Amino acid sequence: MNFSSKLIEDSVNAFASLPGIGKKTALRLTLHLLSMPPEISEGLCEPVLKMRKEIQFCATCNNISDTVVCSICSNTARDQSVICVVESIRDIMAIENTNQYRGLFHVLGGVISPIEGVGPGDLNIESLMDRVKAGTSKEIIMAISPTIDGDTTIFYLSKQLEAFDVKVTTLARGISFGGELEYADELTLGRSIAARRLYEE
Amino acid sequence: MQLKALTLTNFKNYESQTLEFSTKVNGLVGKNGTGKTNLLDAIYYLCMCKSYFGMPDSAIARHEQDFFRSEGHFYKEEEEFKVVAKVRLRKKKELECNDVPYSKLSEHIGLLPVVVIAPDDTRLATEGSEHRRRFANEILSQLDREYLKHLIHYNKVLAQRNAALKKMAAEGRHDDALLEVYETQLLPGAIYIYEKRQQLMQDFLPIFTKTYAAISEEREVVTCAYKSALHNKSMEQLFAESRTKDKFLQRTTTGIHRDDLVFSVNEKPVRRFASQGQLKSFILALKLAQFELFRQEKGSSPILLLDDIFDKLDESRVEQLIQLLSKDTFGQVFITDAHKHRLAELLAQANLDHKMFLVDDGKVEILD
Repeated sequence: MNFSSKLIEDSVNAFASLPGIGKKTALRLTLHLLSMPPEISEGLCEPVLKMRKEIQFCATCNNISDTVVCSICSNTARDQSVICVVESIRDIMAIENTNQYRGLFHVLGGVISPIEGVGPGDLNIESLMDRVKAGTSKEIIMAISPTIDGDTTIFYLSKQLEAFDVKVTTLARGISFGGELEYADELTLGRSIAARRLYEE
Repeated sequence: MQLKALTLTNFKNYESQTLEFSTKVNGLVGKNGTGKTNLLDAIYYLCMCKSYFGMPDSAIARHEQDFFRSEGHFYKEEEEFKVVAKVRLRKKKELECNDVPYSKLSEHIGLLPVVVIAPDDTRLATEGSEHRRRFANEILSQLDREYLKHLIHYNKVLAQRNAALKKMAAEGRHDDALLEVYETQLLPGAIYIYEKRQQLMQDFLPIFTKTYAAISEEREVVTCAYKSALHNKSMEQLFAESRTKDKFLQRTTTGIHRDDLVFSVNEKPVRRFASQGQLKSFILALKLAQFELFRQEKGSSPILLLDDIFDKLDESRVEQLIQLLSKDTFGQVFITDAHKHRLAELLAQANLDHKMFLVDDGKVEILD
């Protein structure tokens, strides 16, 4: 694309560096901002800058936070004896949206995959062990994707946790809501049959 | 199992080509480098989701094209299977059966059993153990879907364990707990694959020795034995014992990825002691035994692809082979040859129902 202005070009390139935004959309956004009063652009940049400068990662669970300790960790109404281990912050949001969980979280920051250059030392595993060592935890929930690398990570963590008096659980795997049985893959269906439950439950 | 029609788009040197085949023998003749083998590979691709000749997808797409497509109409008794492979470079490859896409390619393997005999096959005996493991894997994955699943899983975990060993060596910090985790994950697959390979050799050996006797004029004793570290020790024990060595060499030195098949003639290794003639008969017998095993296990004849057999086999063996083909145990066969008349004459002599195709630089015409 040819631009008559270097300023426009820089703005387009900046937008286009974001995920899901191509050159054309970037140009559309830029021209839209140009057609609006300057305050609109300021209103857009300011919260982004503030967010980037002031956001912190919770000292306890690595969740995003406005304070040293995040709102979940500092909420005394939550069950302090359960820690749900997740790969990323997005998983916390997904689980929080279910309104089904009242315990704490711990963000690993990925899964073990030496091919991708991620070993156990590159994840927030030590801080998890420190939390468990403190002794208030009774249960650790592994909410990690059921992939090969996810399984490796769960396995590794459960080995590390063997030394402590905590229950290690994983998410149930089975048929999704609204899903039809005939379309479920064999592995999922097989697991669902093996781990079936009493109807009253 | 028969392939009635094949349509290729941008597959190697074929820009656009539709062919209708005989359900018995199909002879593909033409000069070298005109695309005879590519047709066989296109058929193999529809059965196994990859090239027999180890060609990457990017090399299969016709020059300067970014996709290729192969569509085959297969028949098993009266049932039709329309199989389409659509490959866009740098995208996930897609395979459909009767217009339903597979979510995993491994679900397709074994539906259309296929056996290839090609000039390069002598490396089964003369080169490294990976060729012999590939041979065993090719057979077992077409017979047993669980085998293929275990193999894929095993190889993925193995790659991670090897990467972990390299990373640990680079960082100078060894984490035995992580290695142990990978070993535990490798274990079920290793045991399953070991047992299946052992079972395979039990079923395969009698068929193989019978086939060899049928095609060889001499009376030597041939065997094909399964060699694995798991014969004497458990997988757990092997992993535990080789961990120090693994750390030093930065790769996993024990497991079913180190298995081998030992081929021998009169109790001597084929690689060093067999004559050229014995070697050729040996390889041919291995492949025909694979064919027979599939026929017995699947209840119908697999498709047989014979690539340039005149190149490596002498005339008497080719004649024997053609004789064998006239038996009703064989189903559909595809044969390539550079000499137009030699193949046609042989097929006519053997009184085989056949159709001949002349291949010329990516174009095919039917010969009368």
